[in-house]
Amino acid sequence: MEKPFILHMLTTAKNLSPFDVNMAMDAGWVSAIPYTNIEASEVQGLVQDAIFSRSAKNLKRTAIFVGGRDTKQAMDMLKIAKRSMVPPFEVSVFADPSGAFTTAAGMVAAVERELEKHFQTTFEGKNVLALGGTGPVGQAAAVIAAKAGANVRIIGRQLEKAQHTADLCNNEFGDGNTNITAGADAEKAEYIKTADVVFATGAAGIELLSAELIANAPQLKVAADVNAVPPAGIAGIDAMSNGSPIAGSISGAVGIGALAIGNVKYQAQNLLLKRMIHSEKPVYLHFEHAFEVAREYIKTHKA
Amino acid sequence: MKRSILHMLDPMPNNSPFDINMALDAGFEVLMPYSNVKLESVHGLTQDAIFSRGPAGVKRTGLFIGGRNLGLAIDMFNAAKQAMVPPFAISVFADPSGAFTTAAALVACVERELREKHGKELAGSKAVVFGGTGPVGVATGIIASLAGADTTIVDHLYLETAEDLAKQYNRRFGCSLKPAVASFDNDKIALLKDVDIIFCTAKAGIQVLNTAILKEVTQLKVAGDVNAVPPAGIEGVSPGDVGTPLIHATHCNAVGVGALAVGNVKYQVQHAMLASMLENEKPVYLDFRDAFVKARELLK
Repeated sequence: MEKPFILHMLTTAKNLSPFDVNMAMDAGWVSAIPYTNIEASEVQGLVQDAIFSRSAKNLKRTAIFVGGRDTKQAMDMLKIAKRSMVPPFEVSVFADPSGAFTTAAGMVAAVERELEKHFQTTFEGKNVLALGGTGPVGQAAAVIAAKAGANVRIIGRQLEKAQHTADLCNNEFGDGNTNITAGADAEKAEYIKTADVVFATGAAGIELLSAELIANAPQLKVAADVNAVPPAGIAGIDAMSNGSPIAGSISGAVGIGALAIGNVKYQAQNLLLKRMIHSEKPVYLHFEHAFEVAREYIKTHKA
Repeated sequence: MKRSILHMLDPMPNNSPFDINMALDAGFEVLMPYSNVKLESVHGLTQDAIFSRGPAGVKRTGLFIGGRNLGLAIDMFNAAKQAMVPPFAISVFADPSGAFTTAAALVACVERELREKHGKELAGSKAVVFGGTGPVGVATGIIASLAGADTTIVDHLYLETAEDLAKQYNRRFGCSLKPAVASFDNDKIALLKDVDIIFCTAKAGIQVLNTAILKEVTQLKVAGDVNAVPPAGIEGVSPGDVGTPLIHATHCNAVGVGALAVGNVKYQVQHAMLASMLENEKPVYLDFRDAFVKARELLK
């Protein structure tokens, strides 16, 4: 009898996200087991408990998912988990805190497609404003876009917090190769004048970019909004937008809404969960891999 | 047929991934973790589990008790048993920290070497358990003592710790554990003077017995070590050893049993226990005693 596929799901939070549980089951994992309130110090013990009760062959049918809400914590836990493996006793690990890595990957990949389609260009050298960018999705999106060559400015209500986030992104996730800076929300009327791309990743129901600001964005090309709850995070983009022109844009900018992003996000998360099932060797997956598969999905599913 | 469900009760904040893998691999289809479970809740949880599936469904339902504390696990085990209302009764298996199955495997492996290499039995032998106040150590002590060995559990810091545990478990299970403390080489040498069996269940990566100590022992026959992380708990014992001569114990013909040899039997015992919960017509109640019976059977 073939052994069942077991996904051990670790979270620093009180509960797992039902979103992730559904995704795991739908990707082919037979059992999704929750471990809650996990601290980084417990990861090694849990990982080694998980790897030593199955044969190397059946460890290919075993993996670990790292959830939670915090990007750095999740990346740290991923690193600890990887270090805790004792080859050939090793399993795949996938970090996607708050679904932020796959959501950010879906958004950046969708924006990249629109840049290519409508402006025949890439992220290279573009100015990106990450509005409400201090949260997990904003952080991951900033790093992915910066790695693709963009100059990213993380905008927050408090400059200090935005600066802290930008430093974290450059130092922890960007390997020192990313150009991510910070700005205060009060200054965004200034920053929008040179922005090519806008990501809106703030809390649901808050308008981060008004019609007035859009009218003052002479080089805006693509704006993406992860918010599905009205009012939209960016004026003129609804959840269904998928490359449709933004009303009032003087530069012919197009918008991408939450459902279009969500679709790519869903595919990326599904593909990574499946990759852990099908990979011969253990894989360690985070935002970079999420972007890789999101791009791949977009390439093979041209709108 | 209804799917098989294992309700996994744990007084700790999370279950052990080891037990999860084992339970699914033994054939349980659905696992439900219950964490931070208190002893007072066991009665209610058990009755909730037995009354919703009918007499056929209860055969496909089991209860696993984990955690880190042996006494608590046994209390929970008893509370679950008492909560059954035949024919609404389900199987229960307690294995806190995997200690019951690990200890059962360790004692059974050592017993086999004692018999095969030295023609002796546990009854009439003298045994010492280092790391004897941890979960695996206490369980090892209880099993060895109930099998007739004159058994001492050793704490590396405080005599009181060993005394308390010996008293508690002697009362609980009718065994005859003796307490001891040994922090330094000299204490250990004194303790090992006329000892036939050493069980080493100390923390992973800590060497309890070095060459200098082993050179002084004269009666030793078998030494078993559950530590798989170098350095070995007993110098010279390799994880894969099964009855391998203990080269550093130069004044006796002792043999060693290593962690992988024990782990292999432990794995089989735990698997068999879990599988038997699904195979039996009648509910089964499994603790360290059943684990030891199974381990002996496997080694025959």
